Amino acid sequence: MALDVHVGLDVPPVVIDPVPAEPMKTVAALLHDSNPIHFDVEAVKALGMGDRVVNQGPNNMAYVVNMLADWAGGPGRVRGLRVRFLGNVFAGDRLTARGTVTGVREEGGERFADLDVWLERAEDDRVLDGTAVVALG
Amino acid sequence: MAIAVEELEALVGKPFPGGRYTIEPYRHWLMQDAVGGPATREGEASTMEAYYGALAGMGLSVDELFTLVGATADDGPMFGEAGIELRRPLRIGESYEVSGGITGVVRKEGRKAGVFDIVTFRLELVGEDGAVAAVSTNSFIFPRRD
Repeated sequence: MALDVHVGLDVPPVVIDPVPAEPMKTVAALLHDSNPIHFDVEAVKALGMGDRVVNQGPNNMAYVVNMLADWAGGPGRVRGLRVRFLGNVFAGDRLTARGTVTGVREEGGERFADLDVWLERAEDDRVLDGTAVVALG
Repeated sequence: MAIAVEELEALVGKPFPGGRYTIEPYRHWLMQDAVGGPATREGEASTMEAYYGALAGMGLSVDELFTLVGATADDGPMFGEAGIELRRPLRIGESYEVSGGITGVVRKEGRKAGVFDIVTFRLELVGEDGAVAAVSTNSFIFPRRD
């Protein structure tokens, strides 16, 4: 079913509460990411970064991608994403992924929505923001 | 001594070794499970696979990439920006040829941050149909503290 989409429409937000620590170990292994701040609290403490492990940046991107895929009707609908990383996310944080439609267009016989997207700890504390393109079907 | 900016600029346009990346069903399941997405082993893949595939298939580890630009993980490199462009949906089980390299180097100096370099690299994933399926463009920020 085609989505009823218009400029200004807010995508249903997705809350991640709390950001879990255990999956960071899986991601570190799968991405061959040897940085211990993602799995060893002692390494985080030694760097003076607090006492909670730090989420991988791609995980924060994935929360936004998952929100868009869920809204648009499937993983293949998310055709573009461009984001800036604005701050570290720690295990135990409460995050909300959000998006707002900024444009609707047709290209090559397909309908697309352009969106502003972001991930926030609070309204004035964004940890990631950017833009996305979603195929509407 | 920080690597000379001329040395960095000389890397622009030189291709990475490149490689092949397959969206393994079990791996897709595990990664999606880790980030709260739909954990599936068949069908369309998460758009994030373009990002994972670019890094896994570029032919360099992240540490080797850091070495190439005169840095180590101890320097505290940070993600700058990340971009994914899908020309078509990616599929679980499909293989992609990955190629690309560094496309830009910018040296900046901030009052608080000191000297740092922004290094951008772009990688293409070519599917089994021979066409570009996805493009991943990423930048890292490298503090140059000495």
